[in-house]
Amino acid sequence: MENRNFKKGSCEHFCPAAEAKMRIEKRLLNYYEYKDGQKHVAGILVKEFTRSAADAKVPKAQDMRTERCLTKTVEYLLNDILLDERKPFHFAYDFIFDRLRMVRREIVIQQFEARQTIRLLEPMIMFLAYSRYRLCGEPIEKFDTKICNQHLQECLNMVLCCYNELDEDGQMEEEQKWTIREAERRCFIEALYQVFNLGTSEALVRGLTLPAAVRNDKLFKLSFGICLNYHRGNLYRVMQGLPQLPHIICAVAAAKLQTIRRRLLEIFTHAYNNKQLTVPAAYLLRLILVETSVLSDLCRHYHIALTADRKSVHFSKTDFKSDAAAIKAQREPFVDEKLSCIHLPKVLLLKKL
Amino acid sequence: MFGTVNNYLAGVLRSAEDYDGDNLATFLSLRDVHVQNHNLYIAQPEKLVERILKTPLDEVVSAHLKVLYYLAQEPPSYMDAYNHQAASCSAVVKLLQQLKDENWCLPLMYRVCLDLRYLAQACEKHCRGFTPGNILEKAADCMMACFRVCAADGRASEEETKRLGMMNLVNQLFKVYFRINKLHLCKPLIRAIDNCAFKESFPLPEQITYKYFVGRRAMFDSNYQMAVEDLSYAFTHCPNRFTSNKRLILIYLVPVKMLLGYLPCKSLLERFDLLLFHDLALALKAGNVNKFDEIVREQELVLIRSGIYLLVEKLKFIVYRNLFKKVFAIRQTHQLDMGDFLTALQFVGVTDVSLDEAHCIIANLIYDGKIKGYISHAHNKLVVSKQNPFPPLIST
Repeated sequence: MENRNFKKGSCEHFCPAAEAKMRIEKRLLNYYEYKDGQKHVAGILVKEFTRSAADAKVPKAQDMRTERCLTKTVEYLLNDILLDERKPFHFAYDFIFDRLRMVRREIVIQQFEARQTIRLLEPMIMFLAYSRYRLCGEPIEKFDTKICNQHLQECLNMVLCCYNELDEDGQMEEEQKWTIREAERRCFIEALYQVFNLGTSEALVRGLTLPAAVRNDKLFKLSFGICLNYHRGNLYRVMQGLPQLPHIICAVAAAKLQTIRRRLLEIFTHAYNNKQLTVPAAYLLRLILVETSVLSDLCRHYHIALTADRKSVHFSKTDFKSDAAAIKAQREPFVDEKLSCIHLPKVLLLKKL
Repeated sequence: MFGTVNNYLAGVLRSAEDYDGDNLATFLSLRDVHVQNHNLYIAQPEKLVERILKTPLDEVVSAHLKVLYYLAQEPPSYMDAYNHQAASCSAVVKLLQQLKDENWCLPLMYRVCLDLRYLAQACEKHCRGFTPGNILEKAADCMMACFRVCAADGRASEEETKRLGMMNLVNQLFKVYFRINKLHLCKPLIRAIDNCAFKESFPLPEQITYKYFVGRRAMFDSNYQMAVEDLSYAFTHCPNRFTSNKRLILIYLVPVKMLLGYLPCKSLLERFDLLLFHDLALALKAGNVNKFDEIVREQELVLIRSGIYLLVEKLKFIVYRNLFKKVFAIRQTHQLDMGDFLTALQFVGVTDVSLDEAHCIIANLIYDGKIKGYISHAHNKLVVSKQNPFPPLIST
């Protein structure tokens, strides 16, 4: 188990020669791998995801990429391909998702050390978190939220294990200390993990036992505070905290918004339950962070009566459709606004947070 | 007393022939004095052991001697020791399967599994190169193999069935699962014990441990009523001389009972050095939100280490309830101004609170059934029920 003599890659191309030759011959190239605008002319190939199978041989060194090359691959995917607007985003997502998955597999096969793994995995987490938000409105044929969530959770778990490993090392050796950049990136990812796992005690327990440096980080404190308030049942503070989160984490939080809104409305139908009385819409709008048009959709969905002038709401606990599932996550104006202010590749590659 | 290997093996043989499980367990224990006997540190003991003992007992003993050998290295090779202890455990499984309608060897199984867990913990502490919890999880798999043999032994009579060993193993598995934070794995074990026809005839100490863990699990599932039942059972049956165990039980029992509306008495807390809960209870009773938060902040580390931080956080809404109940007591009316609640919150030191939040907190309390009534947003009033506007917590 302590033997670290795993095979190291030596390939310096995004796609090893053998695979490139095979795929060009058999015309198995993706849209993004053809030379711009030309048919049948190979452009930049990126190693495709393949499963490990019992009959597959142990990969040769020249079929695996070096750490430097893997970093370049990730950068190429999250910069050049991500910004390529010739096709709809879900198309680019499929391509990037598959190629990043192979990068992840090579990390495992080559048994990279914690630091190397972290550097490669962090951008993947950012990419999955972003795509999940950007594509949340797409139908299942174009985007499968569940699979995306699964991979995001896997990447997160992997990276958290690496953080733990470094924490333990740090106690013994001086040179293993975190650099400022690394620490900042880690806090961002830890905060993202908290929000992604809002409402689970595993995440809260982790949050409580992290090193003080992370716990005292401003961003982490904000995210963790939101999760704690969710645990206490103070949804008011959760809703107040969410818009303060930065871009990508705010996008992750958006996935939870519909569930929280549903819960708040259900609570209100009990608390403001009265035949004569109404509650002003403005109050609800600022509490559940929606605009008037969305509020009427919500009311229709959960069977809550809106007055004719749409200025107030009539709550009745017997009318509330308690078996209605929460509405599917959608894009939120305040998140879109945050995302429109950033240069995506820089953020996804965690060069500027 | 430190004889040759042959003396040791003869002793093992004698215990096996006498069906003396306890004695046999001592011979295979890593906490027994024989562990210090240098004559037993043998890298390849198979040939020697085979000559005296029958299969699969010889495998159990050979593996045990190898464990001793690796632990005697400088520094001790925990990983190798663990692997051989796991082999020993597998051999015990074979032995159990071979001994139909007999259960005298259960103490041996307990001992080997216990040492397996200790060694797994040592590996987690001293060795590198695997994800945390991995070795403990593997150890749990070995114990599960033992558990399956025991659980499947349904034909033997009540005195001779190996099913009597189930609870001991379940408790060991609980300890592993709680340590590696995989509580969902407890569920099938609890079901197995619940379905056991003679679950009352397990030894009392085992039942106490069992209830302690089952209660803690219920607590994590927010099943507080159940948690109180199990933890109370554990607390009342645990003899007084085990002070630290009783204290451990109380650490969970007290906050869960507080959630249900019972406040702990000071003398009890004093006796078990848990006055922290007394302070919490006072703040809770007074509805002093800020004081409550302050105590939680001060005692944060203690609360986190004992695994009740999140539970104590849940008490927060009860603090609100008690504060609002006081507002009602002062005003003596059934139509309460929402502004009064805001003032009350500010009075106990919550400075960053808004009227919107006060509305939400009260809405939540109504939804949970902790306040009976409704809010009129237009009049900015809470209208509480004429009967029992603040029902006792136990009924909510």
